[in-house]
Amino acid sequence: MTSDKGNKLARALPRTSADDKLGTNGRLDSSSQKRIGDQLRAMYDELMQQPVPDRFKELLDQLEKKRDGSR
Amino acid sequence: MTDQPDLREALLAAVPSLRAFAISLSGQVDKADDLVQDTLLRALANLHRFERGTNLNAWLFTILRNLFHSEHRKRRREVEDPDGAYAGRLRIQPEQGSHLDLEDFRMALARLPSDQREALLLVGASGFSYEEAAGICGCAVGTIKSRVNRARLRLAVLLNVDDMDDLGPDSMTRAALQG
Repeated sequence: MTSDKGNKLARALPRTSADDKLGTNGRLDSSSQKRIGDQLRAMYDELMQQPVPDRFKELLDQLEKKRDGSR
Repeated sequence: MTDQPDLREALLAAVPSLRAFAISLSGQVDKADDLVQDTLLRALANLHRFERGTNLNAWLFTILRNLFHSEHRKRRREVEDPDGAYAGRLRIQPEQGSHLDLEDFRMALARLPSDQREALLLVGASGFSYEEAAGICGCAVGTIKSRVNRARLRLAVLLNVDDMDDLGPDSMTRAALQG
């Protein structure tokens, strides 16, 4: 009944209106969900694109050698 | 070394996503790298337990998550308000001027309960299905769904998502006002 899903007025209301989203709705409207998803992926992509530190390559090389040696 | 010729490549290929997950979980790059290293070591020591043909990434994420939580539990005993500490660390991370909106996002993510943050990262960013995420976290699919849902709702409130259209000047003003 009190769902503010898709309510254009919510935009014009002060910050506290966002709290209603938690109290009354079980779900976010799809555009909000998309915006959050986009930001999440943008943040994650930035992390994913960082070069792999050498320590991991070295670690795997070492272990590979050890495994080879033990057979 | 004929059983898993591509193992090194497969593990190396998994490192970026493991790191992204670990950094997002812990909020600290150096801690995250230690976590990834421990994950690789543990994976190699337990390779015989890995069921071939199943998802290597999901298995590695399970190991990393378990390591993170056993560490986290240890730390929890020492530090009150671990989430507050997490947020504080994130705040001093170097950031890139134009990425203020992402900085806001990181701060909001840091304020989620860790079970919700983890579920959202697995499903919304790491590309796992709800079923896979449930397997990784050792809980029911419905639990993951509700955690993801609650995480999104909380983020919407924290980020005042109705304003998120307004990138640039507005988000900077907002950051300055909240600063």
